[in-house]
Amino acid sequence: MIETFSILSPDFERDAPRELMLLSIISQSFFQPFSLEDNLLVILTALTSGSGVGFNRAMLFLKQGDRLKGEMWLGPRSAEEAGLIWEVLSTPGIGYVEIVEHNRALVSKNVDTLSTRLKGLVYAADDEGALIPAYAACRKEILHVRDASNEPLVDRRFLNVIGVDEFLCIPLLARDDVVGEIILDNAITRTPITPPDIKLAGLCGLMAGNYIYSATLHRKLLDMEKMAAMGEMAMFVTHQLRNPIVAIGGFTEQLLKPGVPEDKRTRNLTIIRDEIRRLEDTIFQMGHFLKVSLKEPVYFDPGPVIALVLSSPEIQTKAKDHVLNAKLEPCLPEILCDPTSFGEVVRNLLDNAFDATPVGGTISIRGYRKNKSSFVLSVRDTGRGVTNPDKEQLFRPFFTTKEKGMGLGLSFIKRVMDTCGGKVEVHSRVGKGALFKLIFLSRERELTP
Amino acid sequence: MKKKILLVEDERPLCLLYEEELSRDGYDITAVTDAEAALAKLGETEFDLIITDIRMPGKNGIELITQIMGLRKDIPIIINSAYQSYKDDFMTWAADAYVVKSSSLDELKAKIRQLLGD
Repeated sequence: MIETFSILSPDFERDAPRELMLLSIISQSFFQPFSLEDNLLVILTALTSGSGVGFNRAMLFLKQGDRLKGEMWLGPRSAEEAGLIWEVLSTPGIGYVEIVEHNRALVSKNVDTLSTRLKGLVYAADDEGALIPAYAACRKEILHVRDASNEPLVDRRFLNVIGVDEFLCIPLLARDDVVGEIILDNAITRTPITPPDIKLAGLCGLMAGNYIYSATLHRKLLDMEKMAAMGEMAMFVTHQLRNPIVAIGGFTEQLLKPGVPEDKRTRNLTIIRDEIRRLEDTIFQMGHFLKVSLKEPVYFDPGPVIALVLSSPEIQTKAKDHVLNAKLEPCLPEILCDPTSFGEVVRNLLDNAFDATPVGGTISIRGYRKNKSSFVLSVRDTGRGVTNPDKEQLFRPFFTTKEKGMGLGLSFIKRVMDTCGGKVEVHSRVGKGALFKLIFLSRERELTP
Repeated sequence: MKKKILLVEDERPLCLLYEEELSRDGYDITAVTDAEAALAKLGETEFDLIITDIRMPGKNGIELITQIMGLRKDIPIIINSAYQSYKDDFMTWAADAYVVKSSSLDELKAKIRQLLGD
């Protein structure tokens, strides 16, 4: 007998050890399609929530260049506010989206107070004579500070901001480099910090450090990919523009010569007009591609969007020469994506399928649950299929196997899927058609009574 | 006798333009729009020179040149492409000249004359 378990959403018993709960919350957050800032917020939340270590407040410094800079402060300003926050965060079944939404609002509420003052704190990151808090990062050691007011090693400006005598400094390390520091305190409950708290917070610091390090590397990689894509774009644009321009110039030269017969004159002018239209089309498509900026993903019902695309005149016209089958599970779950981009993605996939399939061929679109947290939208065609070398390049901008294509549709789809934490799969054999599967994060809809 | 040139160019308007302009200069032009058709023509006719584009559907110009080399035919090849940035690399692809596409065919015509020894 084989039993399967999801890696991402283990349901712990309520009396599971808090260490396990905490590490689970933090490690799972790294798999969510959140920004670096939002994931850091989840880490701070885990350190301050009821099910986590349970510190009252958490403060984050990040290393930027050779400076350690205050970035974010999470925690209540009063005992009342603390009660309210901890009640929300202890609600059984609360998900990451809710935690992030809730705490994003909290952090922005703190803008005028805690976070603004924190952002004013900047220290040299590797100064041997640094004062606390930078001292912990410079020495790469956890510091448990008590009676801070009487401790000359504590920076007075920092003490004024934090306003407590006992706190913990956790340096965030990755590959022996300092990437930041977290400060934890119990300003509301005044509970003393215990050795087990310190050990657990230290472990969170290790995870957070490695997460920041890999997220920063990933960002750099994306920037490099962007630069490479820009280079490819420049080359592609050169090609797309130069060919019609050469034709326009060459046929105009012919017209300028004396004694051009009338039929050749008409032919040349027709070519020139067609090439100008082609240039206009290229410029329009480029402009469209460059201006598309993706919005934050939200949960929504994909059914109406799919129906709208399927009933659009453009798809209906193409469907006249093909067989179009649509099969969607009843009562679809909500998927995580930007609805407008999702519509474009569906339209692009169908467009490609129609273009690749000869007249009379079949295109099937299906929507079904893969499991309780993911939804698959698939488009299958009976067209020419994709070769293995082409499969590897399919999602690169400006790669196309179509005679007239710009090669932007699939790269747009990949961009959308990356933004919403989804995945694209291509299954194909040459001559046997292609199957494109988009896998979205999903959740069941709340039933209205 | 007219010198025979095989022109490989997927852009039909450009194909027509080169065909007309080079025929006027006294060359016998055979124009095809992809690499497969070019290889088929090479099996049928002895050409004096080949002009090929790089970016084409199916096999690209570089793959075409590699295959021509495999045929052990010693024919001069001019790459005629819209890409300026490849110009420095053409020797590594065993081509004899690289001309960036232009509405003035002067440079292309000069290279043809040079390679054919006219």
